[in-house]
Amino acid sequence: MEIKAFTVADLKTALLSEDFWHTKTLPITKHRALSYSHNPRADKDDPVLLVAYQDSQVIGYLGILPDNIFVNNTVYKFGWLTSWWVDPSCATTGVGTILLFKALNAYQQQLGVSGSSKEARKALDASQKFKALKTLKGLDISFRLNVTRAILRKLPRLEIFRVLFKIFDDMMDEVVNLRSFFWRRGNDICQRLSFEYLSSIDEETGQFIQRHHQHDLTRKGKADLNWMMMYPWILSAPLKDSAAKRYYFSSRSEKFYYLGVKVFEHNNEMVGFFMLKVRDDRMSVVYSYFESQHALSVTAAVVYHTLAMDVSALSLYDEQLAASFSELRCPCWSAKAVSREFSLSKALADIPLTNYRLHGGDGDLAFY
Amino acid sequence: MHEEITRMLFGVIDELNQLRPAEEHLEKNLATPLAGDSGRLDSAGLINLIVVTEQKTAEELGRPILLTDDRTMSQVKQVFGTLGTLADYIQLLLNEKRDG
Repeated sequence: MEIKAFTVADLKTALLSEDFWHTKTLPITKHRALSYSHNPRADKDDPVLLVAYQDSQVIGYLGILPDNIFVNNTVYKFGWLTSWWVDPSCATTGVGTILLFKALNAYQQQLGVSGSSKEARKALDASQKFKALKTLKGLDISFRLNVTRAILRKLPRLEIFRVLFKIFDDMMDEVVNLRSFFWRRGNDICQRLSFEYLSSIDEETGQFIQRHHQHDLTRKGKADLNWMMMYPWILSAPLKDSAAKRYYFSSRSEKFYYLGVKVFEHNNEMVGFFMLKVRDDRMSVVYSYFESQHALSVTAAVVYHTLAMDVSALSLYDEQLAASFSELRCPCWSAKAVSREFSLSKALADIPLTNYRLHGGDGDLAFY
Repeated sequence: MHEEITRMLFGVIDELNQLRPAEEHLEKNLATPLAGDSGRLDSAGLINLIVVTEQKTAEELGRPILLTDDRTMSQVKQVFGTLGTLADYIQLLLNEKRDG
């Protein structure tokens, strides 16, 4: 078994190489490699991908996303663990363990984790190297009933009745549309808001973010959000291509895009900015910036967009947005409290973290 | 020294077995395979073994060792092949410490 550590510079070279992409299992997709190699927080010598090879075939890999933690005027460099995979037939060969400890050693034991599979969580807990950060609480809101999907997922043999379920869903959607119509008409917040859409962060927004990110754990700025929007890990594509079939993690969805939304009050004052991620029929707010007194307006703007776009669910991972949602009394089928776990390695325990803010897109969560 | 290490490792196995279902218990035998082609431990199991072994070596043998450095990680199959190879490696590390 051989473990190769690919730095940002190595990945740039790999993108131009034929051989790297010829293995039966891919350790990364080309668009994800492009993203890794353009990460504004990574240096060219940072290891960002560890790959385990046996007989020239990939049997495991682990990605690392370099990032910074900001406390007052001090910057702490670390990396988020991402896409940790081991070929199931090699599960007891120690390859997963080697990848984890090699990653920890490469980053002086300073790593973070944002969400993980059950197996990965078990292994990370066993290492006793990580300590939980505060839990990020949010809301998962269903705007469409989607009985078809719920029933067919549980009882696939009822596929023959799909048309009937679909008709029922369409009827229920019309009920929601009608309720939403009256909600929008009766809600004066929406009427006094206007928007500007961004496919990349402009100067005004960059400065707005800078004024509002002082308490953020990783203080994302213009360059970071532009990088995410420009180099997605998931492409909008109708079918699985050959890379998607050879890569374990998500690499394509029928619909995937980011949208930056500037929110203005009637007097043309910019009161908020949020970055939306739309994946198939689900929308998430991955980053949001606003003053507390404008939380209701920004939440209304988010909901307004959810209703205007053809999505069935909205994820809000921000306590102020989640609290404001209840205040808006917006029609929906359900609003479920959800949470996301983040942890940092104990080597970062000395950082004096108090009153910091996490976003729904922190770690690698903005990319999925 | 090897006997003390073996005894300590059997204690590690006792501790690991408490977390494993009865049918997956590891035998207290130097030939017991751990990681490698005929390994019995998945990633979480092997990581657990490493952490508990480091802790018990410090507690019971009075000298801390590191089993997660790049040197050890470059020879996982050899070091963690069986309980016996792990005992040999711990002895090597302890001797290196003693000899400075």
